[in-house]
Amino acid sequence: MTVELDHISKSFGPLTVVHELSLTVEPGEFMVLLGPSGCGKTTALRMVAGLESVTSGNIRIDGRDVTDVAPKNRNIAMVFQSYALYPHMSVAENIAYPLKIRRLPQAEIDRQVLEVAAQVQLETLLKRFPRQLSGGQRQRVALARAIVRRPAVFLMDEPLSNLDAKLRGHMRAELKHMQHELGITTIYVTHDQIEAMTLAHRVAVLNHGRLQQIDTPHRIYDDPANIFVAGFVGSPPMNFVAGALQNGRFEGPSVSLPTALRLTKPGVQLGFRPEDCRIVGGGAADCLSGTIYSSELIGDHVLVTCRVDGQPIVVKAEKSFDQAMGAEIGIQIPASRTNLFDLESGARLRSGSP
Amino acid sequence: MSAPQSVTARKSFFESRRFGELAPLSKVVVYGLLLVWTVVVLFPLYWVLITSFKLPIDVAYPPKYLPFIDYQPSLHAWRYIFVDLGNDTFRPYSNSLIVASISTLLALTVGSMAAYALSRIQYRPRLGSVVVFILILAAVVLAVAAGGVDWRLAVAVGLAIFLLALRTLGRRFKRHLGNGDILFWIISQRILPPVVAAIPIYVMFQKLGLLDTHVALIATYTTVNLPIVVWLMYDFFVAVPKDLEESAQLDGASRFRIFIGIVLPLAKPGLIATGLLVLILAWNEYLLALFLSTVRAQTIPLLVAAQNATRGPQWWYMSVLIIIMIAPVVALTIALQKYIAKGLLLGAVKG
Amino acid sequence: MKQRLALWLDRQSDRLFILPSVLMILAFSIFPLLLSAYLAVSRFQLGLGGYQIRFVGLANFAKLLFGSEQYHFLGVFAPVAWPGWLLLALLAILVLASFRHYLRRGPVNALGVVGRTICVGLIFALGLLIATTAGLGGRLGSLSVTLLYVFLGVSTQFVIGLGLAMLCSQRIAGRSFFRVVFFLPLMVTPVGIAYMFRMLADMTQGPLAPIWRWFGLGDLSWAAQAWSARLVVMVGDSWQWIPFIFIVMLAALEGQSTDQVEAASLDGASYWQIFRDIAWPEIAPTAATVVLIRIIEAFKIIDLPNVLTNGGPGIATESLTLHSFINWRTLDLGGSAAVAYMLLFVSTVLSASFFNLLMQPLRRARS
Repeated sequence: MTVELDHISKSFGPLTVVHELSLTVEPGEFMVLLGPSGCGKTTALRMVAGLESVTSGNIRIDGRDVTDVAPKNRNIAMVFQSYALYPHMSVAENIAYPLKIRRLPQAEIDRQVLEVAAQVQLETLLKRFPRQLSGGQRQRVALARAIVRRPAVFLMDEPLSNLDAKLRGHMRAELKHMQHELGITTIYVTHDQIEAMTLAHRVAVLNHGRLQQIDTPHRIYDDPANIFVAGFVGSPPMNFVAGALQNGRFEGPSVSLPTALRLTKPGVQLGFRPEDCRIVGGGAADCLSGTIYSSELIGDHVLVTCRVDGQPIVVKAEKSFDQAMGAEIGIQIPASRTNLFDLESGARLRSGSP
Repeated sequence: MSAPQSVTARKSFFESRRFGELAPLSKVVVYGLLLVWTVVVLFPLYWVLITSFKLPIDVAYPPKYLPFIDYQPSLHAWRYIFVDLGNDTFRPYSNSLIVASISTLLALTVGSMAAYALSRIQYRPRLGSVVVFILILAAVVLAVAAGGVDWRLAVAVGLAIFLLALRTLGRRFKRHLGNGDILFWIISQRILPPVVAAIPIYVMFQKLGLLDTHVALIATYTTVNLPIVVWLMYDFFVAVPKDLEESAQLDGASRFRIFIGIVLPLAKPGLIATGLLVLILAWNEYLLALFLSTVRAQTIPLLVAAQNATRGPQWWYMSVLIIIMIAPVVALTIALQKYIAKGLLLGAVKG
Repeated sequence: MKQRLALWLDRQSDRLFILPSVLMILAFSIFPLLLSAYLAVSRFQLGLGGYQIRFVGLANFAKLLFGSEQYHFLGVFAPVAWPGWLLLALLAILVLASFRHYLRRGPVNALGVVGRTICVGLIFALGLLIATTAGLGGRLGSLSVTLLYVFLGVSTQFVIGLGLAMLCSQRIAGRSFFRVVFFLPLMVTPVGIAYMFRMLADMTQGPLAPIWRWFGLGDLSWAAQAWSARLVVMVGDSWQWIPFIFIVMLAALEGQSTDQVEAASLDGASYWQIFRDIAWPEIAPTAATVVLIRIIEAFKIIDLPNVLTNGGPGIATESLTLHSFINWRTLDLGGSAAVAYMLLFVSTVLSASFFNLLMQPLRRARS
């Protein structure tokens, strides 16, 4: 089932939360809406669900315009951040509820509930109540309740954010596997870029209600469309240094190095990822000059925070790194790994741009 | 794809266009019912208001609903109540004011202290001591009522016996009561119909020569409203984090100082809401005032009830009295409502 | 010296904080309670130069239940009509079921059995009383009238109050306006309400008189008929107390988790299905609590019967508190205390029954 968002906007009075968002989710695709708090991703999701009205624009599911259709008639299922389990109903009754509303015969309801419970490994917990379950178990109940509807579209609103870190990793794998098995079109909202990168077929990055980039996780990471996407995705985040581009050479107060772009532009930001650069001796050519501020052993690598012109720059070094704090060093970046952004607009500069 | 015009039009009347909003038909029904009830609530008050401005002939059949249109409003009833009967009106009013405000302040003070103590300190009164106390109390009562013993003597002797018994018998019983029991005991006083205690209280105050005084009413009202204060404030104090008090304790502050300086300011909204509620209840109180006061300490509800017997059919005078009686509580209610809207007092009820 | 006093005060602070409350309640609540118990078993006589209190055992109570005051307290008996039998049958089923549930549930101890027997016995006895006095030719005594006010009144108030709360919890404009207005009657002085309704119910010159006449009831005086008088008292009482239920249930409804409601809507449930399956189970404990509070308060009703109808016609609208007050006025202190104690007994046992038989199972089911 295809989901099309056609220039949808949402305003609450004078405040516009979603600006003309347009994107298409292909059948069976796992689409993640990624962005910081308040960027409008949850509002967009709720508009697809029908829980928020659309100020302007259209939503189509499988070609059918559902913009004015009531939520229960859109054939969608949603997993809420809080799971929204009914506290006084058992697990089985929770899962059965959508079927009970549709007045299916009891035998049929029981059969389907058992089937779905097996899919999420809840068979032994069917008689328990939500308050007796752990966070991960509750989440599976919420999933089961969504699956039993056999909807055209799955909507998920930060379903993993209430779980602790370890469980989150486990559930990520479970979710990915399950979505692959069921093949249902899924729209997933999160602010956690790790979740986005690991789960999605495609990621739509939003900021301030506007779409920044929509692409595969790979390309979001390697080929960001603007400085926001570049800085939001990746951990530790990309380093930025301001300066000027002089005929393909980036010039700044403590830096002068070649880039992959043959351009001249007075105001640019140079971006590079911590794992793409390395520390060399102080005074070397074609690098940033700075001093070591602190270094942390992560395990398989060392994170070195350097100071360049009073600004922090993070570099991933091998685990044997052990230079002293305050030492004068240089940071070298291969020209092919440099990213350049317009200082004012934040847009990514590519060969051929003005 | 689209259904015929008439079907969609009919459908849209019964179904809501947007999620969470009412369908047009439902809207009509809902607003209609709400407006009906608004009229039910406001009409009696409206009627009292306009009747206070009516002349005696305006009260006769057929009824007049609109001032200036059905009849000409006049201030004669108001003038009569305030000028001609000036003092007779003023005295009950000031009595109500004095008794209600002082008893509310006392109830708030005593009650919040008890609520605070119950939320922070673990009391463990011995069950044996309580039983002994009740027995001695019963004996004192019997002695005073049946034996004709002077109450001062009986109380003194009873107290002495009790303290003695505490030191000897009391220790024998190991069973303890807890905070929950004390709280329950205090709050369950509310189940007690005031009429049960009214007669003995009347006798008590008569013996003390305090009938028909402010003191009698204030003491009684404070006690009657204590359970409410304790019940509501207990929930508030439980919600105040103990860290602040503990750090003050480390700094050497006494419990009184912590209570007055730290805890009370934090619980101010609760205090105000509870205070407003108790003020309204004290103002409205009728039965105990009926027993305990006649002329000098007559409160306004008493005045209205008394006038009902003599001036009953004189609607215009009675309406004025009723308006001045309920005007303060209406104002207090509007103030109190703001607190309730913030969900302040209702937590206690839900638990 | 001052410092030592301060230190001593602080050490005693634990007791000082709670002592004033305890002392006041002992002095003005417990002490009078015991004294009242004594008065209830004695006869008060005014004599030369003073008064005399004589111990008479249970004579006062006997008078109420079997003697000269029986018509006043219990009422006049008549053969039981079919609604009476229906009521008795219902009660019998209820109490037997609750006993069976108790015995099945778990640890049974002597105190529990005794307590339950008292509750159950009283409920059945009261049912019997109403069945036998409400029939044709019978007349209700102050006990039955009070029960009527409590149970019929509270049920009506709950239904209307909950209905209003459900209406106000919808997405409507002016919600805060309705909230304030609907809350108002709760705090209006009851004596004032009594008089207001006396004016409103006046069918010769009151505002509703035209409607009354239009229905052809011009000659009918509601104050002269027992049941219509009781109805008017209950209307006034409901006007005052519906807001209480309204405000609490509104808060309960507004406190629901929106996620659950949204999830249920997505699942396809209509408003009424959501209310039945999701909202009601959540607000049921609050509803039970508010009904319990209301029942406890309703037993004390005095202002309305006193000012609105003066207990009339005859004794038809007299509540137990009013009955006690009238006895006191006639200097029958013993009789007054006896009625007061009966009120205390009935209201405590019924409130406790409601709590134990209805609320505890609810609580247990949730935990």
